[in-house]
Amino acid sequence: MRMWARTACAMLVAFAVSVGVAACGGNDNGSTSTTTSAGGASAGGRQGGTATVLMGTAPDYLDPQLAYTTQAVEAHWISYTGLLTYRHEEGKPGTELIPGLADALPRISRDGRTYEFTLRRGIRYSDGRPVRASDFPYSVERMVKIPWGGRSFVTNYVVGADAFDRGSARSISGITADDATGRITIRLREAYGAFPNVLAFPALAFVPRGTPIRNLSSDPPPGVGAYMLTDVVPNRTFTLRRNPAFAGFRIPDIPTGNLDSIRVNIVSNTNSEAQQVLNNQADVFDPGDTLPPALLPQIESQARSRFERKPVPSTFYFFLNTTKAPFDNEKARIAVNMAIDRDALSRIASGFLQTDCFFIPRGIVGHPDSACPYGDRPDLEGAQRMLREAGLVGAPVTVWGQERSPRKEYVDYYTDLLNRIGFRATERIISDTVYFPTIGNARTDPQTGFADWLQDFPNPSDFYLLMDGRSIQPTNNQNFSKVNDPHIQRELMRLNRVPATELDSVASDWQALDEYTARRAYVAVYGAEAVPKFFSDKLSFDSVFHPLYFNDWSTLSLK
Amino acid sequence: MAIDPATPDTTGSGAIRTAGGDRPVAAEPGGPPAAGIGPYRLARRRLLRNKVALAFGALFAVIVILCFCAPLYADHVAHTGPNDNHVTEQVQVGGETKDVVSPTGLPIGPTWHGRFLLGADQNGRDLAVRLLYGGRNSLEVGFIATAITMVLATIVGLTAGYFRGVVDGVLARILDLIWAYPVVLLGIALGTSLALGGITIGPIAMKGNSLFVPAVIIGIVYIPYVAKPIRGQVLGLREKEFVDAARVQGAGSLRIMAREILPNVASTLIVFLPLMVANAILLEAGLSYLGAGIQPPNPSWGTMISDGIRLIPSAIHLTFVPGAMLVLAVLGINVFGDGVRDALDPRARVRIAAKREDEIGESEMEVMVEH
Amino acid sequence: MARFIVRRLISMALVLFAISILTFLIFQAIPNGDPAVRMAGRLATPEQIAQIRQSWGFDDPIWQQYLTTMGKILSGDVISYTQQLNVMTQIKEALPATLSLSIGAGLIWLFFGIVFGLFSAIKAGRFTDRALTVLALVGVSTPVFLLGAVALYFLAFKLTIFPNGGYVPLTQDPIDWLYHMILPWIVLSVLFIGVYSRVLRSNVLDTMSEDYVRTARAKGIGERRVLVRHVLRNSMIPIISLWSLDFAAVIGGGAILTESVFNLHGVGQYAADSIQQLDVPPVLVVVMLGASAVVVLSAITDVLFAFLDPRIRLTG
Repeated sequence: MRMWARTACAMLVAFAVSVGVAACGGNDNGSTSTTTSAGGASAGGRQGGTATVLMGTAPDYLDPQLAYTTQAVEAHWISYTGLLTYRHEEGKPGTELIPGLADALPRISRDGRTYEFTLRRGIRYSDGRPVRASDFPYSVERMVKIPWGGRSFVTNYVVGADAFDRGSARSISGITADDATGRITIRLREAYGAFPNVLAFPALAFVPRGTPIRNLSSDPPPGVGAYMLTDVVPNRTFTLRRNPAFAGFRIPDIPTGNLDSIRVNIVSNTNSEAQQVLNNQADVFDPGDTLPPALLPQIESQARSRFERKPVPSTFYFFLNTTKAPFDNEKARIAVNMAIDRDALSRIASGFLQTDCFFIPRGIVGHPDSACPYGDRPDLEGAQRMLREAGLVGAPVTVWGQERSPRKEYVDYYTDLLNRIGFRATERIISDTVYFPTIGNARTDPQTGFADWLQDFPNPSDFYLLMDGRSIQPTNNQNFSKVNDPHIQRELMRLNRVPATELDSVASDWQALDEYTARRAYVAVYGAEAVPKFFSDKLSFDSVFHPLYFNDWSTLSLK
Repeated sequence: MAIDPATPDTTGSGAIRTAGGDRPVAAEPGGPPAAGIGPYRLARRRLLRNKVALAFGALFAVIVILCFCAPLYADHVAHTGPNDNHVTEQVQVGGETKDVVSPTGLPIGPTWHGRFLLGADQNGRDLAVRLLYGGRNSLEVGFIATAITMVLATIVGLTAGYFRGVVDGVLARILDLIWAYPVVLLGIALGTSLALGGITIGPIAMKGNSLFVPAVIIGIVYIPYVAKPIRGQVLGLREKEFVDAARVQGAGSLRIMAREILPNVASTLIVFLPLMVANAILLEAGLSYLGAGIQPPNPSWGTMISDGIRLIPSAIHLTFVPGAMLVLAVLGINVFGDGVRDALDPRARVRIAAKREDEIGESEMEVMVEH
Repeated sequence: MARFIVRRLISMALVLFAISILTFLIFQAIPNGDPAVRMAGRLATPEQIAQIRQSWGFDDPIWQQYLTTMGKILSGDVISYTQQLNVMTQIKEALPATLSLSIGAGLIWLFFGIVFGLFSAIKAGRFTDRALTVLALVGVSTPVFLLGAVALYFLAFKLTIFPNGGYVPLTQDPIDWLYHMILPWIVLSVLFIGVYSRVLRSNVLDTMSEDYVRTARAKGIGERRVLVRHVLRNSMIPIISLWSLDFAAVIGGGAILTESVFNLHGVGQYAADSIQQLDVPPVLVVVMLGASAVVVLSAITDVLFAFLDPRIRLTG
C-alpha cells in the first residue's frame, strides 16, 4: 500500500514540476538581430530576424529538379534561379517574366524556334562556386534524367531532348552553351509560345555541373538565390538561410531578403497549424493548406489585420464527358450549367472560392469580360425543362470525387443537384492519391466529376491543354471532358505559337475562344480557389503575395 | 481506437466454464439447492436483478429502434432526406430568418424545431436525419460484421479444436496471421482497395460503396478474438466423457460438433456477442475517420464525427451529436454485455459459498448473488 | 524447452511471410493504383509512364516484384515510391515518438488499471464498483480520435495548458518531451484503463475465492497482506500476458489514431500516410515490423510463463 502510494505521489510531483517549468519556459521564436544588407530590391523591410512557417503537407521533394507541388516551389523560387523568373509583385504584374541569371529577356528568332541568352557575369552558387554557361545544359539534362514530372514541357519541344530522354543520345543537342562568351542557345522543334514560362520553372534553375543525378532532397544542391536550403529533416522541417553573397550580384528586380532565416515545420494537423498562428506561436500559415473553417469566426474577429483571402489563378470545375451519354448531348451539359449554384459552392468552401463561369481564370490574360452565357443565378426549372426536352430524365450518372474536404462536399452538392434536375446520380468518392490516375484512365471513362487545374505558369495555353484534342491519352489523360473541337484546335494552333513575352497582343483572341468554350458548355466551371494569407502579429503584412508562388518569403520582414 | 484487447476473459483460464452438466449449487440466497433450474434460467434471473445492465440494454434498444425508424422521421418530421443539400436556403427560427449555411460556411446549430432539429452540416443537410440514417448504417455494419465474425469464428474454432492435428495447425496459423496484422492497418488497406474496386467472389459482387465492404472487413478482422477462446474450449471439451459416449454410439464428427460441443460453447458465444457488436461499431468509426469505412454520401456515425472534427470550435454540434450517440450506443451494449457475462458466470456460486463461510450478513449475500 | 522455442520461431517466420504476401497482394489488387502513373506526374505521356514502370520493375511478374522488394527490405535498402527516401531511416526517426507514446501510456494504463480494478474488486457489488464499471466502460466506448480532438481543443487551444500536438525528442529536452506527451498518454490510456480494470477485477474476484486465499485468511494473515501477496500476485499473470500483447500492438501501429490527432510523426502515422498514398514499401515494412513485435512478444511471454508456472508447461 505504501509503495504504490509513494510512487503515485512522486509521479504527481514530477508532473506538477514539469508543467510549471514548461509553462514558465514559454515559447521563444528566436532572437532578433539586426544585420545590414547591401543593395537589392527589398528596401523598406526591417532587416534581420527569423520566422517560422507551418506547412500541413510536406513539399513532395526538396530537390528542385524533382519537386512539383506549391509547397516545394514556395521554397525553391527564392533559392534556385534560372535564366528567367517572374516579377516579385502581386496580381497581373507578378505574371510578367523578367531576366534571372540571363542578362536580358531572350532574343527569339522570327520563326519562334531559336532562343538566345547571355549569362550574367560574376554569379556564384551558394557554396561559392562560379556559375558557368555550361551548367545550364547540365541542369536541363539532370531534370530530364532524374526525371521531373513536368519534363514533357522540354522533351516535347527542345531539339534532341526526346532522344536524350529515351537514352539514344548522350546529351541534348538543341542546347548549346559557351563558357567563354556566356552565350546559351536553345533550338525548338516547333514554335512554342509558353517556352519562356518553362524556362522560369525552378526545375530549370541552374545547379552546378556534376551534381549527382539522384534525389538530393535531404541535402539539396547549391543554387543561386536570396536564400539557401539547409538543415533538412525529411517530412519534418527545413530551413532557408539568407545567402549574404546574393545582394552583391545586383540582379535587378529580385529582392535580396529581409529575414536572416526562415524555418519551415511540417504539422500534419491543420487545426493545430492554424491555432498556432492565431496564438502567435508560429508566424505563417501555409496558403497551400485549407484553413479550418471552424476557426474563421475567431480569426476574423481576433486577427483581422493579419488575415486575407487571396484568389489564385486556378479553375475548379466539373468535367462533362462529351463522348458518352448523357453528356454527349449538349442540352444535358447546358442544363448543368444553368442549374449550378455557385454561391452554394462558395459557402461550402467557406468563402475560399471566387465564383466564375469561364475556363481561363481571372488574373490570366484571356479571361473574358463578358457576362456568363447561362446566367449568374441558378435556374432549376429551366434545367429540368431542358432535360425533359432532351428526353434524358432518369439517365444514370456516376459522379466521381476526391476524399479531401471541401472537394468531397462539392461533389456531395453536385450529385444532389444532378438528382434534382432529373438525373439518377450516385457518387463515388475515392482516395486523393489515385483520383486523377483513375479518372484519367480510359478504362474508367468517367461521365462527370470533380476536376481542378492550378496554373503551371501564367499563360492561357497552360489551361487550354485540358481542352486540346491532341492531349487526350489512354492513361493519365487530363482532358477529362474529352473535348476535340475543330474550332478550338484551329485557334490553339495559332495562339500557342505566340511567345509569352507578347501575350497581350492576342488577349482578345483568347477571350473570344474562352467565350466559345463556355457557350458549348464542355465543362461546368464554378470558380477559382482563394487561399489564406495568414500571419502572426510579429510579421509585417505588407509582404508580396505572388500569383504563382504564394507567399514571397524573400519579402517577409518583422514589424 | 487502438486495438481492443477484447473480452476480459481472454485470460485463457476464463471464467466461462462449461455450462452443461453442472448442477447448480445455490440458486437462492439462504435456500437449499433448487433442483432442476437450468443454467440459462438461472442466468436470466440474475440478469433481471441487475438493474444497471437492464437500463443500459434498454438504452441500446431505444437507439436501435430510433435509427431504424429513420425514414419515418425524415418524411414526417424533418421533410428532407439524408442527402438533400440546402446550402443557400434559409429557415425561420424563433421569428428570425437565418441562413442554413452562412456565406463563410458555418452551418446552423440546433433549432429545436421539426426542420433542422439538431442543426445542419456544411452541405446544409439535416443533422438529425443523417444521425438516424447514419446510425442505421453504423448499426447494420456492426450487426452484419458481428454475424460474420460469430459464424466464421464458431466454425473455425469448432473445426480446429475438434479435429486438431494438421487442420488445427493450419487454422491456428491463419488465426495468428489475422491476429498479428495490425487491425487498423488491415482495415485501412482492405478498405482503400475495396472501396476503389469492390470485390467479386463467385456470384456475390459487392460494389465499392456497398455497406458490405466495411462489414466484411470488420467481420474478418475480429474472427481470431472469438475463434481462439472457442478453440481453447473445444480442445478441453473434446476429452470429456459425453463426447466419447456419443462417438461410441456411432455419431459422426459433424453431429458431435453440432449436438454435443456447440451447446457447451454457446454461453461463451452469448457473452461475446454484445462485445463484438460494440467493437464493430467502434472500428467502423475508426476506419471512417481514416477514410476507409462507409463511403460518402452515405452517412455513418464515424464519417459524421470525422467530418465534424474540422468544425469543432464553431460548430461543435457536428461532432458532439454523432459522438454522443455513438458513445451511448456502445456504452449501452457494453454495460448490458457485462451484465450478461456476470449473469452467466458460474463462479458466482463459488463466491457465495466462500463468502458464507466468512459469516457475512444476509443483505451482503444478496448483493453477491446479483453478480 | 528448446523444441518449443524452435517450433515457435518457425511458425513466427511463416506468419511473417504470409503477412508480407497478403499486404503485397492487397496493394496489387487496387485498380488504378499503378505507382508509375503517380510517380510520373499529371503531365506525363504514356511513354514516360512506361519508362518509369520499366526502371522500377513494375512490369515484372508479380512474384519477381515481390522477391525484389523483400530482398531490398532485408538488406535495408528499400525506398518509398512517393518521396524515394529510405524507409528504414524514416522508421528509425519515427520510432522514438512511438516508443515514448507506447511505453508511457502502457505504464500508465497498467498502473491505473490495476488500481481501479483492485478497488473495484474490493468494493465488489457496492455502488463504487458499479460506478467504476460504468466509468471504465465509457472509456472503452469512446473513439480515441474523438477524445483526442476534443482534448486538444479544450486543453491546448482554449486554455493553453498543453502544447498543441507535436513531439519533442527526449534527448533534446526531457521536460518539453514530457509536456508534449502527457495529453497523448492520457488519451491513449483511457481506453485501456477501462479494459484492464475490468480484467483485474474479474481475476481478483476469482482468485479471492481460491482455496489458498481462504487458507491464508484462516491463518490470520491481515487482509491487506493477503491482498497484495497472494491475490494480486496471482491475478497479475493473465494481466501481464494481455499487457504484452496490447503493448506490442500499440508499437506495431495500433496507436495510429492517437499519433495522427497529436501529430507525433510516429510509426503509426507514417504507416497511415503511406497507405493513403498507396506507397507499398513503407507499408510492407511497418506491417511486418508490427506483426513481428506482436508475435515475438507473445512468444516471449509464453516462454516466460512456461518457465514460471509448471502447470502451463505441461499442457502447453
